[in-house]
Amino acid sequence: MELLDQLKEKIKERLPELDVVIGWEQGFDPLHATPLFMRTEEDVDRLVFSPLCVHNLASHLTGLKGKKVGIVVKGCDSRSVVELLQEKLLVREDVTVFGLPCTGVVSLKKIKHALGGLDKVASAEFNGNELKVSAAGAARVLPLNEIAADKCGRCQYHNALLSDVFVGAPVEAAAEDNYADVEAFQAKSPQEQAAYWRDAMQRCLRCYACRNACPMCVCRDHCVAQSREPHWMTQQDTVQEKWFFQMIHALHLAGRCTECGECERACPVGIPLLLLKRKINKEIKELFDYQAGTKIDATPPLLSFKVEEENINERGW
Amino acid sequence: MAAKYLKKENLVSWLQTLAKERLTLVPRREGDAVVFRPFAPGQDIPLDQQATTPPKAAVFPQCEPLLAFKYAKDPENPGKVGVQVKEKLGDTPSVVVGCRPCDARGFLTFDRVYDSDRASDLNYLTRRRNTLFATLACDEPASTCFCNWVGSGPADAEGSDILMVPVEGGFVLEPVTEAGEKLMEQAPLEDAGDKAALAEAVKENAAKALGEAPDLSQAREKLLSLFDNMDFWEGVSAKCISCGACTYLCPTCYCFNITDEQSGAEGVRLRTWDNCMSYLFTMEASGHNPRPTKAHRLKNRVGHKFSYYPDIHDGHIACCGCGRCIKSCPSSVDIRQIVLQAIAASAASE
Amino acid sequence: MSAAPGNELRIIGFLCNWCSYGGADTAGVGRMTQPTDLRIIRVPCSGRIDPLFVLKALVNGADGVLVSGCHPRDCHYAEGNFYARRRLEVLKRFLQVLGIDERRFEYTWVSASEGQRWQEVVQKFTERIHELGPAPKITPDQMAMAETMAAQPR
Repeated sequence: MELLDQLKEKIKERLPELDVVIGWEQGFDPLHATPLFMRTEEDVDRLVFSPLCVHNLASHLTGLKGKKVGIVVKGCDSRSVVELLQEKLLVREDVTVFGLPCTGVVSLKKIKHALGGLDKVASAEFNGNELKVSAAGAARVLPLNEIAADKCGRCQYHNALLSDVFVGAPVEAAAEDNYADVEAFQAKSPQEQAAYWRDAMQRCLRCYACRNACPMCVCRDHCVAQSREPHWMTQQDTVQEKWFFQMIHALHLAGRCTECGECERACPVGIPLLLLKRKINKEIKELFDYQAGTKIDATPPLLSFKVEEENINERGW
Repeated sequence: MAAKYLKKENLVSWLQTLAKERLTLVPRREGDAVVFRPFAPGQDIPLDQQATTPPKAAVFPQCEPLLAFKYAKDPENPGKVGVQVKEKLGDTPSVVVGCRPCDARGFLTFDRVYDSDRASDLNYLTRRRNTLFATLACDEPASTCFCNWVGSGPADAEGSDILMVPVEGGFVLEPVTEAGEKLMEQAPLEDAGDKAALAEAVKENAAKALGEAPDLSQAREKLLSLFDNMDFWEGVSAKCISCGACTYLCPTCYCFNITDEQSGAEGVRLRTWDNCMSYLFTMEASGHNPRPTKAHRLKNRVGHKFSYYPDIHDGHIACCGCGRCIKSCPSSVDIRQIVLQAIAASAASE
Repeated sequence: MSAAPGNELRIIGFLCNWCSYGGADTAGVGRMTQPTDLRIIRVPCSGRIDPLFVLKALVNGADGVLVSGCHPRDCHYAEGNFYARRRLEVLKRFLQVLGIDERRFEYTWVSASEGQRWQEVVQKFTERIHELGPAPKITPDQMAMAETMAAQPR
């Protein structure tokens, strides 16, 4: 039986005891999937799963507090669920996790580059690890490894780390993450870096899609970015303000970010926001040998300490 | 002046001429986005597709200082503190070249609000009167385009000063307003000749490609009748993440916030974009929020555009059909679907 | 006295109430000469310092930021500085991708009795910031903002 059919069956089995199950369905065009909230068996029939299912549905979990929620997760998404449970932001009994093995999702940006635009996509279909897409009258075949999201190329957790129901055969492979992208960026001079962020932040709209798409940004309606008291940020649309918000976002995620990349994916003007969070994760890994969202009972590194820190040499300056 | 032909290779020289007198905003590629920026020679001008952001900021900046203020003690009477105020108006003559008909038409939605008998917004009007639009007609619609649903079309010249129709090798320029005609006089133009017919064909094909628009005449009443049906709104808003991407990318969303940003004894009063998808938008001083959930807020966004606004503005829908809210939504919320569902849902409940 | 007379820079110091602020006081009472570039903000404990305090200062034009608290194991609140140590170390490394020279930020420990050490810390850090010079103006908006402020009615 196809993975999708198995998944549908399992969801239908559990649906009576759940208020809603979150998955994906076909969106407004063949390339776009969109979150699906399943309440009835007919809803379940609309479920899809392919590398086009890019959304991390865990972002919706804290908004459904008090409900019995089922959620379909890929490996990366499952880390967000683990992290939320670890921080006691979810009640374990209220969440039913349908875990999947995943070989990677697409980056719509990369497809956009390959096709020269996403405006006129007539059809898109995955055939194994190839995307057959026809757009603006031309047909193209794009191998998944060329259009996969960057996070997939360094994925260490293809299979859901946490699941009440696991569907399909686990993927064996696991890549290494040596944070080469962060290293490369770090090699630039501070001037070059500042110029890079200035150019990127200039087009920020302050729409807060990055924040709202983030599964770990749980303050939502009560974010310090919009608070007047304390007055962390003004309403000026200067680069400093916008950029400072990204620093707030990154630091509030320090030791918590599961690198799902939703911030970057959600940004309507394509600002590479994940880099900031990955830099912090890289340091947290080096300093405290810790990866967020991998163990439910682990203590987050910034909520604990050691009297003698092995990797911090604060007297050396 | 009749329609004229501008060769593609002459576009830049025209822009250069325009830029001498006016702030000339053109599409520019920045990272993965296309945004409107002041024209700079030597830069690529991507005109092949709709820009990521509309040129809304040309007339309605994301943030504009309305005034600067300063508190100062009266030297004669130190107990008395006076405030000095200096108003600011943005009156730089500007022209936007290469926006789409929907983008230019978006400001008509603004005009009915900020330039009416009841209210006239000086800051808005000053910019509005100083900004012209040389609009590029669309030759092929995107999957998210629905300008024909809201009473417009891919070659709608309403709201523009010049309509540029893309044809082989260049553009056929049609003057729409007198001001537009003056801008055209500065361009190295040729007689349109047989290109005029080509332009007509482009317009016709684009309109045809958009297909039939559904009848939205019922939307006004139907959306109102669904006002208290929160089940409906919770259903359609479930996947919404309540960010402001849709509203900030919308050429017709005109809401703003005013804040004083003060440092010590001096500061500025700013007007900044605000959006109804934000929890704080309707937060009252008492702590009560009439739109506490994203369902309430999405209801407002859709309702305002397709029902409440048309209700008080002669049936004009406050949406230009550009589709950016669909295209750039992190969750692919589709406003077209919501409107159609609303029409169908209330039909079913009747 | 500035490290380079007539050319004072803006350095912000976040000092904990119990140790480093006392240490600075000790240095002052002992009439130890120190550069005057440092502006001190007293906080209850280094554990109170949100790393965003530091970033906010740097983004808005501070030329340097110095944080100082009680020595590890000596925190007035027993463990505030242990938490601070982790946060500040992560922050310092975070600067490496922000285009802000990480040498513009430093954290250290000075006790209330260490007037001499405080003087050295301030001297050394101020010299370092002077070597780096004024922080680059991050953006053209900073200039625009300065203009807005300058255009205000006098």
